[in-house]
Amino acid sequence: MAKKKNKAILRPWCWYCEREFEDEKVLMQHQKAKHFKCSMCPRRLSTAGGLAVHIQQVHKLEPDQLPRIENALPGRDGYEVEIFGMVGIPAPDVADYKRRKEIELGLAIGTISQPPSKKPKIENRPLTEEELKAQLEAHKALMGGSESSASAPAPDASANSVVYNAAPQTYATPSVPPMPPGMGMSPPPGISPTPPGHPFFPGAPPPGFPGAPPFMPPPPGMPGFPPGPPPPGFSPPPGFPMPPPGMMPPGAPPFPGGARPPFPPPPAFVASGFSPPQPGAASPLSIPAPTAVVPGAPGVLNAPLGASPPPSASPFTNVNAVAPVELKLPDPSLAQTNPPFKKPTELKYADPNFSPDEKRAVHPKYRFVPNDTGNVTNENAHPEETRGKKRARAEDFL
Amino acid sequence: MNSFLDQYELSSTPFDSISCVKFSPSNPDQLLATSWDTTVRFYDTAKNEQRCKFDHRAAVLTCCFADGGHGYSGGLDTSVKQLDLESEKAISLGQHANAVSSMNWSRDTNVLITGSWDRTIRFWDPRAPTPQQDSFGVPERVYLMDLVNSTLVVAMASRLFYIYDVRKMPEPAQTRESSLKFMTRALACMNDGQGYATASVEGRIAVEYFDPSPEVQEKKYAFKCHRQTVDVIDHVWPVNSLAFHPVYNTFASAGSDGTVSIWDHKLKKRMRQFPKYHSAIPSIAFNCDGSRLAIAVGYNWDDGADGAKAADKHSIYIRPLGDEVKPKGWTPS
Repeated sequence: MAKKKNKAILRPWCWYCEREFEDEKVLMQHQKAKHFKCSMCPRRLSTAGGLAVHIQQVHKLEPDQLPRIENALPGRDGYEVEIFGMVGIPAPDVADYKRRKEIELGLAIGTISQPPSKKPKIENRPLTEEELKAQLEAHKALMGGSESSASAPAPDASANSVVYNAAPQTYATPSVPPMPPGMGMSPPPGISPTPPGHPFFPGAPPPGFPGAPPFMPPPPGMPGFPPGPPPPGFSPPPGFPMPPPGMMPPGAPPFPGGARPPFPPPPAFVASGFSPPQPGAASPLSIPAPTAVVPGAPGVLNAPLGASPPPSASPFTNVNAVAPVELKLPDPSLAQTNPPFKKPTELKYADPNFSPDEKRAVHPKYRFVPNDTGNVTNENAHPEETRGKKRARAEDFL
Repeated sequence: MNSFLDQYELSSTPFDSISCVKFSPSNPDQLLATSWDTTVRFYDTAKNEQRCKFDHRAAVLTCCFADGGHGYSGGLDTSVKQLDLESEKAISLGQHANAVSSMNWSRDTNVLITGSWDRTIRFWDPRAPTPQQDSFGVPERVYLMDLVNSTLVVAMASRLFYIYDVRKMPEPAQTRESSLKFMTRALACMNDGQGYATASVEGRIAVEYFDPSPEVQEKKYAFKCHRQTVDVIDHVWPVNSLAFHPVYNTFASAGSDGTVSIWDHKLKKRMRQFPKYHSAIPSIAFNCDGSRLAIAVGYNWDDGADGAKAADKHSIYIRPLGDEVKPKGWTPS
């Protein structure tokens, strides 16, 4: 990281004339054209040595008669130093150049010349078991069961360290939920993903799911979510025992004792999830099955693409859409997905499966409800017998 | 020369988004416009007056002219209507099972061809006692159709294309997948019958040719358009409509960015971009002699119902055309 930064500041430069260049290739082209060009013929060489040999052999000049290198700074016009792009620049000159650059760019002395050493080395190597334990202890002490400190459990060193049996993006998620008081600390990643005797979600992150974070705020728009309100009598899938009745009174955020859900919801969900369900609000209870939890999955607009979308998943239910009509793909096998963009792009219409017109057609304002009789054509001279009645052949009009 | 000054707005335009504008194939002044306000309006653009209006039971998505003072229209109410432009009477020819999204009149065979979201293409003979002559199933919802001579191009959802010879139904002559990676949003056939242009919601136009031989297929290409880079982010709008100039074989494209561009597809050059209109452009059409371009302007649901709240008026502009649509070195052949 630091190296890259350094490079970004210090662009390739020419030792002979101290010009900066976009990259080494351009630098070499420059050197060939400006410094290693033979003055007696159109020949261009790649290095000073090459030029010297060329002049001696082709133009029969003695080594002491060699012309100075063209366009060079005073003192740098000799053949003693073999320069090839950035290769071969004498170390004192490099240091000198860096120092001058620092002054020129208004940087602190040493930012370029003495690169990294800013970030502790510890971040770049896996921690040993002992270190992890020490950090765990420190973390435990820090947590101390108090809520305020629990709000920042992630930034402890173990999270920054190399992933230890936990999905790293869990910690990248800024909305680490605050832990209810009295709950103790959350198990550090990898230590015990499933505390024994966990009343909820037995074997929630199964062994075959090693990346499963022990706690994870449900990502917004998680696939498999019924976007609609979870039905009051939402029956969990088998193997997902409901919490004992009364354990979760509406609006009660703290989960008593051991009845802690495996996914403590982020604050917003605590508020909305247990109070009377709102459309689009995801209750933690509605997490259907652990297998549906895909960390970091993008919000899915067209849920039917998934293998087993919940029946209530409408392809484009936005929060405020009241239209009960759903758009269904007539042939889901032909479902489209937009390819990713190479550049940051804001696509103004991003649904790959339904046109704006189709979406508009199911909007309550425009939705067409045919008559019961299907007799749309009351002003018509010859009514409905045409429908569904086809001629066998098209020949007669061709 | 500055035709922007000559451009004028039609009076008595629809109250809601205009879905389709089409000029008469024989009269350079007559224009049909369909709208989400459930009407089809018939204009005399030279006099700038609305000659008559036809009502559907739901939003109208498509229309076309036939010879002899007739037009046709279809939309969400699934019925295919024949419009008598003189007597101002509408007759229903029959129905699709879902919204009628596109229609074309085949002059050669005197047949109306309609495409629908019900995944069928239907042929209608308005003079027959039972107008619907035939129905052909296609794999996806028909979004767009265009006809040149006897070649019918059908653009469907899921980026599918079927190319038919209308004399040799029901099997398509060619089936293709769009060369564009995003949903097909516009389609127009070249007037010389060589090929067609198609556009996607991702600001891009492809020019394709019918001839399946490799050397002709090699000529097909696609290019980006109707987009803008703001602070390193590419803003990309759908291209909603394409129309070929009836004489010069150049084409115009219109997008949700509110711009209309004129392209020379042979030289692969943009000839002109008209100044931006106040809103998205859902549909454009050249008239039969290529002297005017009709431009429908107004919000067309790219942002759903939320965008409709902010949407302002819906207009149809008529823009007289000069040399901006004529390719360089054009010689009438």
